[in-house]
Amino acid sequence: MAAGGRGVADPLSPAGVPCAFSPLNQAYFALASADGQLRVWETANNRLHQEYVPSAHLSGTCTCLAWAPARLQAKESPQRKKRKSEAIGPSNQIDLLALGTAVGSILLYSTVKGELHSKLISGGHDNKVNCIQWHQDNGCLYSCSDDKHIVEWNTQTCKVKCKWKGDNSSVSSLCISPDGKMLLSAGRTIKLWVLETKEIYRHFTGHATPVSSLVFTTVRPPSESQPFDGVTGLYFLSGAVHDRLLNVWQVRSENKEKNAVMSFTVTDEPVYIDLTLSENKEEPVKLAVVCKDGQVHLFEHILNGYCKKPLTSNCTIQIVTPGKGKKSTPKPIPILAAGFCSDKMSLLLVYGNWFQPTIERVALSSKEPHMCLVRDISNCWAPKVETAITKVRTPVMNSEAKVLVPGVPGHHAAIKPPPSQTEEVESKRKLGENEISIEERLGALDIDTKKEKDDLPQTNSFPVLLTQGLESNDFEMLNKVLQTRNLNLIKRTVLRMPLHAVIPLLQELTKRLQGHPNSAVLMVQWLKCVLTVHASYLSTLPDLVPQLGTLYQLMESRVKTFQKLSHLHGKLILLITQVTASEKSKGMTCPEQKAKLVYEEESSEEESDDEIEKDSDDNWDEDEEDKESEKDEDVDEEEEEEDAEEKDEENGEDRDVASEKELNGDSDLDPENESEEE
Amino acid sequence: MVEEESVRVVRCGGSELNFRRAVFSADSKYIFCVSGDFVKVHSTATEECVHILQGHRNLVTGIQLNPNNHLQLYSCSFDGTVKLWDYVDGILIKTFVVGLKLHALFTLPSAEDSVFVIINKEKPDVFQLVSVKLPKSSSQEIEAKELSFVLDYINQSPKCIAFGNEGEYVAAVRDFYLSVYFFKKKTTSRFTLSSSRNKKHAKNNFTCVACHPKEDCIATGHKDGKIRLWRNFDDDKKYTYTCLHWHHDMVMDLAFSVTGTSLLSGGRESVLVEWRDATEKNKEFLPRLGATIEHISVSPAGDLFCTSHSDNKIIVIHRNLEASAVIQGLVKDSNIFTGLMVDPRTKALVLNGKPGHLQFYSLQHDKQLYNLDIIQQEYINDYGLIQIELTKAAFGCYGNWLATVEQRQEKETELELQMKLWMYNKKTQGFVLNTKVNMPHEDHITAVCFCNAEKLENPTLVTSSKDGHFKVWILTDDSDIYKKAVGWTCDFVGSYHKYQATNCCFSEDGSLLAVSFEEIVTIWDSETWELKCTFCQRAGKIRHLCFGRLTCSKYLLGATENGILCCWNLLSCALEWSAKLNVRVMEPDPNSENIAAISRSSVGSDLFVFKPSEPRPLYIQKNISREEVQWGVFVPRDVPESFTSEAYQWLNRSQFYFLTKSQSLLTFSTKSPEEKLTPTSKQLLAEESLPTTPFYFILGKHREQQDEKINEAFESELVQLPLTENIPAISELLHTPAHVLPSASFLCSKFVSSLLLSKETKSGEEIPEDVDMEEGKESDDSDKENDFTEKIQDTNNTDLGEDLLHQLSKSEEKELRKFRKVDYSWITVL
Repeated sequence: MAAGGRGVADPLSPAGVPCAFSPLNQAYFALASADGQLRVWETANNRLHQEYVPSAHLSGTCTCLAWAPARLQAKESPQRKKRKSEAIGPSNQIDLLALGTAVGSILLYSTVKGELHSKLISGGHDNKVNCIQWHQDNGCLYSCSDDKHIVEWNTQTCKVKCKWKGDNSSVSSLCISPDGKMLLSAGRTIKLWVLETKEIYRHFTGHATPVSSLVFTTVRPPSESQPFDGVTGLYFLSGAVHDRLLNVWQVRSENKEKNAVMSFTVTDEPVYIDLTLSENKEEPVKLAVVCKDGQVHLFEHILNGYCKKPLTSNCTIQIVTPGKGKKSTPKPIPILAAGFCSDKMSLLLVYGNWFQPTIERVALSSKEPHMCLVRDISNCWAPKVETAITKVRTPVMNSEAKVLVPGVPGHHAAIKPPPSQTEEVESKRKLGENEISIEERLGALDIDTKKEKDDLPQTNSFPVLLTQGLESNDFEMLNKVLQTRNLNLIKRTVLRMPLHAVIPLLQELTKRLQGHPNSAVLMVQWLKCVLTVHASYLSTLPDLVPQLGTLYQLMESRVKTFQKLSHLHGKLILLITQVTASEKSKGMTCPEQKAKLVYEEESSEEESDDEIEKDSDDNWDEDEEDKESEKDEDVDEEEEEEDAEEKDEENGEDRDVASEKELNGDSDLDPENESEEE
Repeated sequence: MVEEESVRVVRCGGSELNFRRAVFSADSKYIFCVSGDFVKVHSTATEECVHILQGHRNLVTGIQLNPNNHLQLYSCSFDGTVKLWDYVDGILIKTFVVGLKLHALFTLPSAEDSVFVIINKEKPDVFQLVSVKLPKSSSQEIEAKELSFVLDYINQSPKCIAFGNEGEYVAAVRDFYLSVYFFKKKTTSRFTLSSSRNKKHAKNNFTCVACHPKEDCIATGHKDGKIRLWRNFDDDKKYTYTCLHWHHDMVMDLAFSVTGTSLLSGGRESVLVEWRDATEKNKEFLPRLGATIEHISVSPAGDLFCTSHSDNKIIVIHRNLEASAVIQGLVKDSNIFTGLMVDPRTKALVLNGKPGHLQFYSLQHDKQLYNLDIIQQEYINDYGLIQIELTKAAFGCYGNWLATVEQRQEKETELELQMKLWMYNKKTQGFVLNTKVNMPHEDHITAVCFCNAEKLENPTLVTSSKDGHFKVWILTDDSDIYKKAVGWTCDFVGSYHKYQATNCCFSEDGSLLAVSFEEIVTIWDSETWELKCTFCQRAGKIRHLCFGRLTCSKYLLGATENGILCCWNLLSCALEWSAKLNVRVMEPDPNSENIAAISRSSVGSDLFVFKPSEPRPLYIQKNISREEVQWGVFVPRDVPESFTSEAYQWLNRSQFYFLTKSQSLLTFSTKSPEEKLTPTSKQLLAEESLPTTPFYFILGKHREQQDEKINEAFESELVQLPLTENIPAISELLHTPAHVLPSASFLCSKFVSSLLLSKETKSGEEIPEDVDMEEGKESDDSDKENDFTEKIQDTNNTDLGEDLLHQLSKSEEKELRKFRKVDYSWITVL
């Protein structure tokens, strides 16, 4: 037998591997594999419950198996008080499992104790057991075999109660009627026996090949008017070897009609059948048929008299592997068994190889005619069938997961007081506008850079590289510029860069700050420079808040630990640098384009004065300073000296900022704090 | 309510399994453990519960095998009784009423008719070890008042008492001394260690004791992790002890192997240490057992050990230190922060499990499915370590998403928070981390809830925190050119006057979000995140918040800390009604309009089931539990019940489970005890009958021959065979119920002697009736086989024909007696 329960050598054995769900709530799934081992799986968590190897597993492999009807345990002793809480206990405990073997013996295995309970041999079969059925009430067991006989066992004494010849050829399948008084058997023909007298009640003929499965589909007759004797009027279903039709038969009161009433068509030989019994007349019978080709066909039909045309399935379920990459095609995964859950709305599917099957509960939707489930069972192939002791499942944590830390966009939406709802909408709109404006500016940038190249071919090409990099979003170009550690270079580059590139640069810096902490150290230098140099320009922008919101949040979250102290520190640094800068200020030669922009900027200065009142603007400027100062204070000190030397390069913009900052700083700071800081 | 009595509170799973040492049966097939008021019998091979021995009316405090009959088990309980059970069939044989609260039970093979128990007689913390004489009587319930005092002022824990060297002495430890009482000499010796005042021996306290089964050797465990082996203790002066030190923390339990060659110890490190030959060098370890080892026990056959752990599990360990089975109850090591949830996918109950794990507990099968490792960090078992705790969890979108919040707080200001959002991957059938959020809030998260509306374009999650904000997270498309991906981002942050957000809840259709800020409830539109309205009753902080469902979806319910239950109408934005009820748990039923509220009063907890639209509760049950109820949940039924009576109707669609402070899981049952009992009669009993093995042919045939021989010898001697019925011993044996029979050894000689005379008649009886009836129909094959076996016997008989007249030798008689003794269990079958 190949993996997946395909290719059964013997046509008389029920196709596929013998397997069954435990009755009632399908807690377990028993599967007797071709290597002679019995494995019981827990359906709820797909865990191997136990493994049993019969002593003669190689000669007498298991050919069929059946769970005993639920054993109900004593739950409470009668003398218990009423009010006291009591245990529910392991109710409806499933215990015995009957295994039929190829040599004719029947083993009763106790799944609770995990050992062989008894062995039914004496007086039984002398050839392969084909089917076992438990009687639902009286603890009897019926088995049929290749030796043409049907045996009734008393499981309490493990002795044969009765043995009779069931057919001229081997008997391949059995089924007990819902009332427990009749027995269906099938070899070449289907026979209905009266259990009490062991006499044939009815014959049914129709299958050309040996019948592999028999099951009653209804418990009540279709018309309730006539008296019900327990079996007349009931429907049952049969499937046969190499037959793609499942026949439905009706037990009639008069013994004339012998043909099937209707049939279901499936794609291959049925290997496992499960159905839900309909409680009333209106409710359809739901039927799940697992075929040899690994598909499940679902039928939903109200059984009511004849139907000439074979019915096709309402829904087909297939399972395939995902198929790695685009080239490899998905491969089908065979389904071994399917069982309806107690709610009748979902199906337990067992698929994969019999060595390590996967059990999954699939919810059924009546609409789809074809369900194709993509499942990755590649990790199940590892032969790890030993019982998992720890019962711990580790969910997958891989690098693909998104990580949100404070400051990263998505971690925090902008905090706004509830009434300012409208502002948000407004700012969003502004954002949109602004993007266009950046584009425009970048468009203008082209000309600028060209000019720059023409005019200043001798100067460091960093500003050019930077603007070009920002424009084209060229990662390598930006890397070349931004990964410099030379503070002077940074300062000069920032000074010479065109104003419209400031916002893109800030956004690029923000992005990099969110990245690796090592690169963030470098970026902080850049950020500090940009903010000190271009503070006044930034303060003129009306839509600064939405544009640099993430940067603000990032800084806010990173300086959270000593917030007030770092605010103070930042303000003081800014103050001192600006004061020294203003003292040393000299007229300096600015690039031509700068001159243009200075002009433009002056015109908007009045506006900016008004806007500067916004807290957020100031805050983030300061915080930025803070942060940097916090991180590399020693660098700052050096830098200050350098600053002093370079002040001559600074233009008028800085002075504006300085004055503003002075104002803010003075108003915010306590004299005490200041002294401490000093 | 007329039917009030009929809906009863029943315990379902989750009692403590680790309260006392587990006990193995003589053949190591079964393991017994106390579990609340019951004793559970588990199979060591399959972990399955075979029987529940029910009968005690209070906590069971001790179990021991009957040393005279290894198929019987003694148990003692706080209810003052000692009970004797037949564990194979799960039958109560006898009850001995002592009348005092019994704390522990010990048995000794040498003391046949008495057991030892720990009682406290006078003061609350003074415990005594006494022996109780169990009188022989045929009645079911016997008074056992004959107590004889053994040791005084002992520790109440059974770990601090041990009987040694086949019951020659008993050792007890408490605080800083070890006392040994010799039964023969009737003297007590006491050995004291230097007390705690000396700093060097600060933690010298005794914690447990074990005695060597063969030699005079006592092992004691100490708080500082040392194990001392005491020898020569029959001499007060010359006693010696040696130290074994590996444990860095308290030794929780000690046990000697059956032969005494190795000593097992365990503690908080959750490592089982086996000391071979009681030397420090030869140690074997079984590490990573998951939780503190509370108890260790050894099977009488010597092939298995077991350890009971603080996370409510018992691990069965093979002799070569390999764990072979785990009997796991509901994990109850840590606090339950997450509350009770139902996983929509597996329908399992989900709550905190092992540290850092979520446990999935199947209610249908009453066992743990698995633990989901959320934190994924090695758990270090050490006292005083501050661990990462899993504080919140929520399932969303039909089980496709799981949100978990973990926190660790070392000091007031050092809060570490992490929120993880897991997606269920259908392909691999498991959860995959999708988004990890560090510090989602600046303070503790008080509530996490998904929007579970049916037609929802993208999943929405809301977290509320003590930092005064609630955050709305939505699933967005994070695809870039490299891969397709989705991830969660914060969409909106809301606050209300800097009050702490204490609770949040989505309405059934997902259109409204209610967030409570201390005393105030705010209602937000989930489309625009606009504040719609606020409710404030000034009745204390809101503890629970939930929307009505189905027809009652216009109502919002809030329970406050001042014991007021408010119901607001969302259409009129007004208070509909309010009631004075100190609500501890409030849970809506997902399948109906019903809401269950559990209130706490001074006496106990009361349950109220009501519909928000109706002022009168549907159902009230007073005093559902003595202790405080902490969490509750409605679990939808797979198959709806159809109760018509008013009291049951609320249980039609869902079942209500609740968890008390001591972490016992309770539920309501509508079945009467009688109803539950009836299936027992239908119980399928299959006799164990295994075919003969080659070994049997070697040994069993020989015995059979001897049997034959003996019988024939007697037959030839005796002229007249008395009828079975006339022999008083047989009739007594056959007509008295099995559970009132005296012990087998008592009956054996009498029985065997009578049996020898009457073999033929008895064997006739033994053939079951149905075989008699059906015999005619049996096939020829079986007859043939019977013939065959008969032939074998015939040949044997002829072989040994000359010995037939031999008298029964002494040794043969002994063997026969042994044989009968072993196989006497057939009595119960009769």
